[in-house]
Amino acid sequence: MITALVGNPNTGKTSLFNHLTGSYEYVGNWSGVTVEKKIGRLKEIKGDLIDLPGVYSLYPFSKDESVVIQFFLNETFENIINIVDASQLERNLQLTVQLLEFGSPVIIGLNMIDVAERRGIHINAATLSRKLGLPVVPITARSGKGCHELTQQLTSINGVKGNIPNIQYGDAIELGITKITEILKEKELNLPTRWLALQVLEGNPDARIYIEHWVSKDSVQKIIDFVEREVKEKTSFSSASRLIFEKRRIWIDEVIQDSISTQSEQKKNWTERIDKIVTNRWLGIPIFLFFMFLMFTVTFDWIGTPLSDLLDSFISGPLSNWIDAGLNAVGASSFIQDLVTDGIVAGVGGVLVFVPQIFVLFLFISLLEDSGYMARAALVMDRVLEKVGLNGKAFIPMVIGFGCNVPGVMAARTIEQPKERLLTVLLTPLMSCSARLSIYALFVGAFFDKHQAIVVFSLYVLGIVVALVLAKLFSKVLMKNEPSMFVIELPPYRVPHALTLWRSTWDKGKGFVRKAGTFIFGGSVAIWLLSYFGPGGMGVDLDHSFLAIVGGWFAPLLAPLGFGIWQAGAALITGFLAKEVVVSTMGIIYHTPDSTALQGLLSHYFTPLSAYSFLVFVLLYIPCVATVAAIRNESSSWKWTVFSIGYALVIAYVLAIIVYHGGKLILGI
Amino acid sequence: MSTLLELLEGKAGSISDLSQVDEALKHRLLHVGVFEGCPIKLKCVMPFGGPCMVECQGQLLGIRRCDAQKIKVECES
Repeated sequence: MITALVGNPNTGKTSLFNHLTGSYEYVGNWSGVTVEKKIGRLKEIKGDLIDLPGVYSLYPFSKDESVVIQFFLNETFENIINIVDASQLERNLQLTVQLLEFGSPVIIGLNMIDVAERRGIHINAATLSRKLGLPVVPITARSGKGCHELTQQLTSINGVKGNIPNIQYGDAIELGITKITEILKEKELNLPTRWLALQVLEGNPDARIYIEHWVSKDSVQKIIDFVEREVKEKTSFSSASRLIFEKRRIWIDEVIQDSISTQSEQKKNWTERIDKIVTNRWLGIPIFLFFMFLMFTVTFDWIGTPLSDLLDSFISGPLSNWIDAGLNAVGASSFIQDLVTDGIVAGVGGVLVFVPQIFVLFLFISLLEDSGYMARAALVMDRVLEKVGLNGKAFIPMVIGFGCNVPGVMAARTIEQPKERLLTVLLTPLMSCSARLSIYALFVGAFFDKHQAIVVFSLYVLGIVVALVLAKLFSKVLMKNEPSMFVIELPPYRVPHALTLWRSTWDKGKGFVRKAGTFIFGGSVAIWLLSYFGPGGMGVDLDHSFLAIVGGWFAPLLAPLGFGIWQAGAALITGFLAKEVVVSTMGIIYHTPDSTALQGLLSHYFTPLSAYSFLVFVLLYIPCVATVAAIRNESSSWKWTVFSIGYALVIAYVLAIIVYHGGKLILGI
Repeated sequence: MSTLLELLEGKAGSISDLSQVDEALKHRLLHVGVFEGCPIKLKCVMPFGGPCMVECQGQLLGIRRCDAQKIKVECES
């Protein structure tokens, strides 16, 4: 049994999905958190549940929305759970009608009843259920209340035929439906033809492409033209889609009339009060910047670094001693001992010490996502982003990119306009991700001890500024101008749930820790082997190892940037795997499992200025392998993928030169 | 009849005409629940030509100023 979970954006589908399947998928408080379909196994009964991106209608405006219509057109499923936002009942039912017309059995999960009550809207679920002729289960998706009943209902409707609403769309549309049904007759379609015909007449591009597989383009176009002409001539509506919407609205009003009661205007809620401040004309942007700065101060100066120092002294002290003792006890060869202590402990441990900073950062990002502020920030930033050829919505992928660029790149799917989406995909990798944070943490600890937060903050700002400048450049030079569109839903604020917050932080952090166990572990072993072997054989002097040779090829290229040493070259090449590997490589090259000692050693090879130039280069130089794969996926083009690598290298090189030589001039060195 | 932007902040009006709004946007607004006849309120306008925040049927939305200008409203007295 396969059940599809469908509903408007930001109504809690994924929260419900997590409760029903016991999985943990990404949730947040803005429209468009889920951008692809996800499959999970139901906990209580046998069957699969499919979580789909939120849509207002089956008509797709953006890439994430077309996932839903494609699912309906091409995949088989038995039941639908339609999650409905009680505070926006009328609008949500527009989608419900389209689901009902599909003919599969539907259950409604009525969510956000508390929000509705606060607005003075009371809904009688029993009456609504009777009027619609399907089960309506009140739920609280965040806490999981009502999930049991929902599952019970699911077993009771399975196999029952859906209750198709009796809506007459008027002569023009009905005639159109008949004509489409006629040309589709005798084609072996597995889809309900009335539903399909309505989707086509509404102008749904995906539905149209679908039927054009079966019948000629011309015959479809003829019917559509006919219907549109009829609608314009014989009704007061401007288009067929508007007429269809209106007919459905009348039907919905009829249905909800008896099941909904509204009290007069409620007192000012606190969403409005907060909005008065954070989206204030003048305070909006300063507040946002202040919040970001606070985030870095807490991450570095207040909580992250002290914790990270503790962890560091544990890894380099007791843990290393235990490992040494253990290896001695089992009588490991000196090769193995070196591999473990100088390779794995130095490489993996060097990255793991930064876990506290990264978790604090993730906690902040989760807080942003869960509170409802994300959409506001997108609104506040729209003007700036519009100026450079982007869209306020591009801001959300960018903030997510601060955590990890891969989900950031994917989040760009919610942007309606293809040019703006492509630009966002190309530029999100410039957002400084948490992996890069570990490199900054290593270097700022060594060179800018007193000003850690401000130096790191400057790198984040640099990433954003470069992204904005390049957006302007690319949109002017490379892409043709298309009309832009910006509509964003501003969800009510929510006090973030401690549990949700923790899970969402953990889920992001888990990826980082897992990477330490796989990529970074493997990378560390490989790098250590390269540093252990050389043309001269085993256990060569580090300066004559393969690693030094390969790094040495790049050193002359890096000399103008202030760090023309083979160590930097080697670290940067390995950083393509995952940016943290830069830290591992440094740890292995300089033979210190302890990041404090490493920081001390680094000052022999870098000056503060060349260290900063190195960080600028690291920020920009190339997206990591996983991000490159995501860019390829989202842009569906190798050309753009290669372009994203190429421009990043060029810009990193140029800016690092400017920083290094400009800095030298200013400082008078 | 005036445009949505001319509504005083916090004042309510009802949408009377959307015909000048770009087709795709009009379609989008329709599905979000913004269409002719709906009561609508201008909540705030961002500086430097930035977007504005409107409330329609209990739903807060952000739209661009140039689009808000094309939405004609009937003021409630």
